[in-house]
Amino acid sequence: MSLPGTDARRYVWIAGGLLLAAAGLFGLAVGGVRLSWSDLFSGEGTPAETARLIVSLRAPRVTLAALVGAALALSGAAMQALLKNPLADPFLLGTSGGAAAGAALAALGGVSPLASPVAAFLGAIASSFGVATLARRGGRLDLQRLLLYGLIANAFFSAVLLGVFSVASSTAARTMLFWMMGSLADATFGRVAALFPYAALGAAILGLYAARLNLIAVGEENAAALGVDTERAKRVVFLAASMLTGAAVAFAGIIGFVGLLVPHAARAVVGNDQRRLLPLSAVGGAALLVTADALSRVAFAPAELPIGAVTAAVGAPLFAWMLLREP
Amino acid sequence: MSPEEGGGALRLEARGLRAGYGRTEALRGLDASILAGEIAAVLGENGSGKSTFLKVVARILPASAGEVRLDGEPLSSLPRRQTARRIAYVPQSLDLVFPIRALDLVLQGRAPHARGFAADGPGDRARAVAAMQACDVADLAMRDASALSGGETRRVFLARALAQEAEIWLLDEPTSGLDPRHRVEFLEVLARSHRERRFTVVLVTHEIDLAAELADRILLIRHGRALAEGAPNRVLTEENLKRAFDVRFDLASGRFSVIGPTPKLPYEA
Repeated sequence: MSLPGTDARRYVWIAGGLLLAAAGLFGLAVGGVRLSWSDLFSGEGTPAETARLIVSLRAPRVTLAALVGAALALSGAAMQALLKNPLADPFLLGTSGGAAAGAALAALGGVSPLASPVAAFLGAIASSFGVATLARRGGRLDLQRLLLYGLIANAFFSAVLLGVFSVASSTAARTMLFWMMGSLADATFGRVAALFPYAALGAAILGLYAARLNLIAVGEENAAALGVDTERAKRVVFLAASMLTGAAVAFAGIIGFVGLLVPHAARAVVGNDQRRLLPLSAVGGAALLVTADALSRVAFAPAELPIGAVTAAVGAPLFAWMLLREP
Repeated sequence: MSPEEGGGALRLEARGLRAGYGRTEALRGLDASILAGEIAAVLGENGSGKSTFLKVVARILPASAGEVRLDGEPLSSLPRRQTARRIAYVPQSLDLVFPIRALDLVLQGRAPHARGFAADGPGDRARAVAAMQACDVADLAMRDASALSGGETRRVFLARALAQEAEIWLLDEPTSGLDPRHRVEFLEVLARSHRERRFTVVLVTHEIDLAAELADRILLIRHGRALAEGAPNRVLTEENLKRAFDVRFDLASGRFSVIGPTPKLPYEA
């Protein structure tokens, strides 16, 4: 694998920024109604008003998609470095299962849909804590066990979900099902504002731990011998990544492959230095999810695909192709 | 401790040291003393606790009882980062999953000196490059470390220990798996660095002749306890080696032989 030099890095950032901007414009332009840019900027009267209305309707959705995509990709990148496994993913560790189960139980209990993000977030954190506690052995967080208990947690939470579906009313089950498949349909700037603090806090914590993660990605013993309090670092990063995933699932449902695919692609571009990999993953995740959301609106317009179906349809073959290229 | 060996002050001291993995106890009350500036070789059979001792000193593994003292102060009472500036650990092997350039691996040696463990300032780079030149691996700097040979990896780690500017080096089986040329090259780099900087070296090895040749002090370990400790000529006796390894060792010829009957092979009726 070729490792990039210093000069190439500047272009990577310019390219990443342009990609995100292009994705944003694409997300604003496409949908059930086609947006005319000339109407928006130079038009007068009804067409211009319609164009502005469309933008104001789509803008929160594009912003939410960008935030959710960034959160998922950051979480995936951090988990991969932490577990020293490029295939690690927050969904694999039971975080998303916990979030989904939390929201489903809240809906079953008749809690207002407004509270379901809170329930999803609590479920994610509870699942993370449970998995981390079970994986702890002799005072140390064992990473192999973490993966295994993540698997067990997911199996358990799918049982909970199936149970909730079977007893829920048909309309509630349908709402839940759509939510489980991922959707940004009810995006508002209020929801964007609610997600932002979680995403910003998670990103800030990971940024603070990026250099430690570089040492951990080579090996836990390596990091410990270089003076890192590895147990503490693992806990902090694990919780920050779980919070990012939980918040993303809470505000957009289960959207797979972003946390797995984006860091993988970013690593191929800038290498595994977390101080560059994390920000590029965030930009890439945002661009990917904004594009995927736009595609979900136009693919079968006026019907909407669940965004999770789009990311899986695009992500699965891409990921298979990436794995094939690996030596 | 044997003051007649002279020279440095007591740098590392283990007293009643216990440590292990889960329920398995690898160290069961180890006592050891290592003086500043000397090369100490830790010998013992597989599973005797040699590597565990290094890991406790490197603070990779916590002690469950007893303590290690660094210049008289309990290791556990010192900040991790502070001891990492003074103690460099060279692992036996490296299992890399993600790509990393050899230079970045050496730069990690600067991490304990840097704010937030992020070390790639110009000063850090200069030190890393100089260390790589000293260890004859400067031409590997931009190569992916996972593609390096065993000998190259170990010299890269020596360079890292140099860049770390640590005064204590812990080497876990530094010569295992190396072909004769790489072994000689590695030992030469080690000997030269030691001559120039007089740091303290603790190395774990299975090579008794290497230990005898290189070390000022031998620590013979069995079942997680010290069996004998001191100058090579006093520790490496046939009696001690027999107790440590359960083999007969002929010092004159340097040959081992099995004690008691040889295990029968399946085709020997």
